[in-house]
Amino acid sequence: MSTTAAVEPPAVASPMGELELRIAVRGEKSVAVHQYHRGALRVLRAHYLDDSGQVCYVVVNPGGAYLGADLYVIHVEVADRAKLLLTTQSATKIYRTPGSFAEQRMRLRLGEGSQLELAPDQLIAYREASYRQNTHITLHPTSSLVMSEVVTPGWSPDGASFRYEELRLRTEIRVESGGKSGLLALDNLLIRPPTHDVTGMGFMEDFSHVGSLIVVDRRVDQALADELHVLTAGNEAYTGVSLTATVDGISGLVLRSLSNSTEELNRLLCACSALLRQRWHGTAPLDLRKY
Amino acid sequence: MPSTPTSPASYQLALQQLCDSALPTGAFAHSLGFESYIDRGLVHDEASFGVWLAAFVGQQLSYSDALAIRFLYEDVPVTELDALLTAQLLPRQLREASIKMGTRLLEIGAEIFPSPELAEYRELVGSGRAAGHQPLAFAVVARSLGVPLPEALAAYLFAAVTSLTQNAVRAIPLGQNAGQRLLRQAADDVVAAVRRAGSLDRSDFGAVSPGLEISQMRHERQRARMFMS
Repeated sequence: MSTTAAVEPPAVASPMGELELRIAVRGEKSVAVHQYHRGALRVLRAHYLDDSGQVCYVVVNPGGAYLGADLYVIHVEVADRAKLLLTTQSATKIYRTPGSFAEQRMRLRLGEGSQLELAPDQLIAYREASYRQNTHITLHPTSSLVMSEVVTPGWSPDGASFRYEELRLRTEIRVESGGKSGLLALDNLLIRPPTHDVTGMGFMEDFSHVGSLIVVDRRVDQALADELHVLTAGNEAYTGVSLTATVDGISGLVLRSLSNSTEELNRLLCACSALLRQRWHGTAPLDLRKY
Repeated sequence: MPSTPTSPASYQLALQQLCDSALPTGAFAHSLGFESYIDRGLVHDEASFGVWLAAFVGQQLSYSDALAIRFLYEDVPVTELDALLTAQLLPRQLREASIKMGTRLLEIGAEIFPSPELAEYRELVGSGRAAGHQPLAFAVVARSLGVPLPEALAAYLFAAVTSLTQNAVRAIPLGQNAGQRLLRQAADDVVAAVRRAGSLDRSDFGAVSPGLEISQMRHERQRARMFMS
């Protein structure tokens, strides 16, 4: 697959891939009551990892990679009391995007008492890649959200790190109830290696990978933040945990971690999610490599 | 032909008072994360603090504080910017520091530079509809005094840099002359930050580096500490 060197418009009107998913409770289980896909995005057949009723969908990009001016649009709604685990089949790879950028726009809406775990594979940006990921999440004060993300230093033929142009991962989380809506958290990760040295003190701190975990749930409190800190303290990764503001009685926590390997970050993020799964839902740790 | 100026700009002395490190907002109590670097032994002298300060000016102060001030000057409603800052300042101590110093600045501002805009922001904070963040409290006052945006930005950023440097002089500790050399060096970063803040847009707001954020988060659990953040 190749891209032309011609300057392309920054975003195309027609998405390269679209995915819509609406999950609702039917009987004992959560199921997709609406599903639509077009172009280079689809989901694998639904499956269930345990008997909690939580449905698992795996997003697949059959093209295998994001290229210049590619736009991917994902809309997911988790209806009242429904439970969804959304993951990916493999790493998201961003190839060269000359004069342009690849973009993913994701809108997630969580109903009352619903539960969403978002656990994509890592993001890899190759040499001369630009990527923007805009995620808008709207949840109810009784929803539960756990989302994780790992960004690698990218890859180039000469083996050097951070050869991509720009990565922007912007996540906005709003709490909505009774017609009122308030902004709970804005997480804006912007890495632009060509503009300044991103490797050292005050930025990547001589680490290569960055991982994030965002948890929003009525049960999030300072004690939980402290517990996750203790849980992650034994790793070589450099990790911080803090509480977000509170909106409508619900708070979030953000865990940010720098490391030199995807595996270490995955292990650390999985340990945190395992603690939450066990405590809040009585379910086993995720083993996403078993399918 | 312009005549020789015989009086300073109307806002000049007001701006100096507002940015004086003696203004009692409590800035002496905040490291905004550099104390974590001291704890890890990474900030230990003039040069290493200079590296941290340059990163802080280039990231945190540019993408968060300076951009919030610019947007307020561009008529974005103060409630919207206040909510954005509360959501974007993810490390709890940093968020609390901004609100603590902002609340003090609102009080002081009401005493010495009252204006309808400032009264409105105070009212929003008083009724719980806004938190009261430091850069916004400053921007509301500076704008009401007629301070042009580039001067307001430069003055705010340099005041922040001055407080942090004075705190580093006490904490590391550094000599007084080292502090002055750091400020002279940081002035160039401040000018660059003012320029950068003019070229960013809404999607850039709040883009701060993971390293600075983690250090600010870890400060919450640091054993021995001089500073509240």
